[in-house]
Amino acid sequence: MSTAISPNVRERVSRIEATPAIPAVLLPLLKILRMPADQVEMEAVARLVSYDHAIAAQCLRMAGSPIFGLSRPPKSIHAAVMVLGLHRIESILLTSCMGLAFPVKSWSIDPGVFWRHSLGCAMVCRRFSEGVAGADVERAYAAGLLHDLGILVNCLVFPGEFAVAVKRARQYQMPLDEAERTTMGFTHCESGQALAEQWGLGDSIVEVVTHHHDLGECVKSRGLVALVHLSDLLCRMRGLDYGYYERHKVDLLGDPAWKVLVAEYKQLENIDLARFTFELDEAVGEIRDLVSTILGPAAQA
Amino acid sequence: MTILTPPAGSAAAAPNNAKVVDPVYLQIRDLVYKVSGIYQGQEKLYLLADGCARRCKVIGAQSAREYWDHLTAHPGRDGELRQLLNELTIGETCLFRSQAQLDALRKVILPELTADKTRQLTKRLRIWSAGCSTGEEPYTLAITLMEEKAGLLKDWQFEIVATDLNDRSVEIAKAGIYGDYALRNTTHYYKRKYFMPLEGTKFQVRPDVKKFVSFNRLNLLDDSKMLFMKGFDMILCCNVLIYFDGDSKGRVIAHYFNDLSFGGYLFLGTSESLLKLNEQFRLVHFPGTIAYWKPPLQSGKV
Repeated sequence: MSTAISPNVRERVSRIEATPAIPAVLLPLLKILRMPADQVEMEAVARLVSYDHAIAAQCLRMAGSPIFGLSRPPKSIHAAVMVLGLHRIESILLTSCMGLAFPVKSWSIDPGVFWRHSLGCAMVCRRFSEGVAGADVERAYAAGLLHDLGILVNCLVFPGEFAVAVKRARQYQMPLDEAERTTMGFTHCESGQALAEQWGLGDSIVEVVTHHHDLGECVKSRGLVALVHLSDLLCRMRGLDYGYYERHKVDLLGDPAWKVLVAEYKQLENIDLARFTFELDEAVGEIRDLVSTILGPAAQA
Repeated sequence: MTILTPPAGSAAAAPNNAKVVDPVYLQIRDLVYKVSGIYQGQEKLYLLADGCARRCKVIGAQSAREYWDHLTAHPGRDGELRQLLNELTIGETCLFRSQAQLDALRKVILPELTADKTRQLTKRLRIWSAGCSTGEEPYTLAITLMEEKAGLLKDWQFEIVATDLNDRSVEIAKAGIYGDYALRNTTHYYKRKYFMPLEGTKFQVRPDVKKFVSFNRLNLLDDSKMLFMKGFDMILCCNVLIYFDGDSKGRVIAHYFNDLSFGGYLFLGTSESLLKLNEQFRLVHFPGTIAYWKPPLQSGKV
């Protein structure tokens, strides 16, 4: 894949507002959430959550959902935060922020499907990197969450062309990026790259967004990009796909990215991939519930 | 569940479905996986608990914890584990049991195999249903391939070789008569096209399906007979390996590897894995299912 973005794509992407409407509590909250779990003060988390009306409402709604089985919905933000736990609050926070940054009106793929895939990929990235010495688990999570940024860009900036690509992908049950390349001449990797660079999301995220379908010319963050590439493939094979059957076989262990990953994440060399897959299946139901609750009943596709 | 649920001791509460699980079932689940490669996911833990409860009644264990001791510390623990595995896999069989495996066969594997074989100037497919029990799996495979006779498999020859250790099962399989339970996943379309209605609610597989399937009694540990099982493009062996101990299991899997053509696939039960018993097979993913692949020679590793 080429990293040269056509001037037309870059120009149209540049019309997206220079800075997204990110809530003021995002950065302090993320800072707390990324501390070691035993050092996090839930009081502080609850206080910050309560500063932002939208995020607080989301937490209350989520904690009151049937999947937590409470006899009564929690009445306070503090109670909601306790029920949800740190990982879920982080997912709610990031998804809400992405939703605010991208007021997509014309979704060519179901938003529930998109968020399930993105959160699923983030969690698989985190799971792969947990227990690997020296791995930056939270960076892996963020990379997984943001890898398909370009799909949001395509929905926002190229709605007509992208709808044609999605239709073709569904019709021929082919990978989305191949359908984009055929019908649009570029993929969500290039449009995502244009925005990631414009927003200054940092070299490693830019490389993940750009190269997650093909490590090709990726130079700096090859391990991280390989991790996202493989997690993305695995999610698409285990019910966290783009909402259609993809007619292809995924050979993770034979993928060149596997060698790159194992060179950096040595402990993964002996991973029981079958068991890892079965464990991912267990998480799929919870990811579905989480996304349905975040998006509300309207998006329960 | 280990991906989303926060670590034990964190401030977060677990979702309600995790609250009801006695941790000893997670230990039993891990033991079952270590021995058999069968993984009981969160959604199947109640089946594991039910199976344990039935075994507790039989042997007189008063609690799950006491049953755990029977599985790990008592002299008859190996036999008990086998009994538990029987409980977990019993009654699972029906036609069209694993749609994900059938989709993988029809949508991904057949296009791949037919393209490869056309290059090799052969138009013949062989599939082995190993441990076919009462015939549901081989007939499902035959019907799936027959659906492609006007498409991908036009002018192709194919055969399903079905074997089982149990004589009685093989006889029932040959008759091909099934009731509601075995046909619960079989659509009206397939019933009309490939079955004949009998008295009551039973249906019999039509002769034009049967002609693609051969049934034989075979002991998978009979090395002399296993040597004759050659040239398969795909082997299905669902929830059968649990009946073998470590060494015999390794032997059967080694046979499977030799019996497959290069580029062929081995499918196990939907939540069953080979563990680390064979390093030659490569685990691959299709949507919703995994398989073990014997890579073509040029792919290296073999």
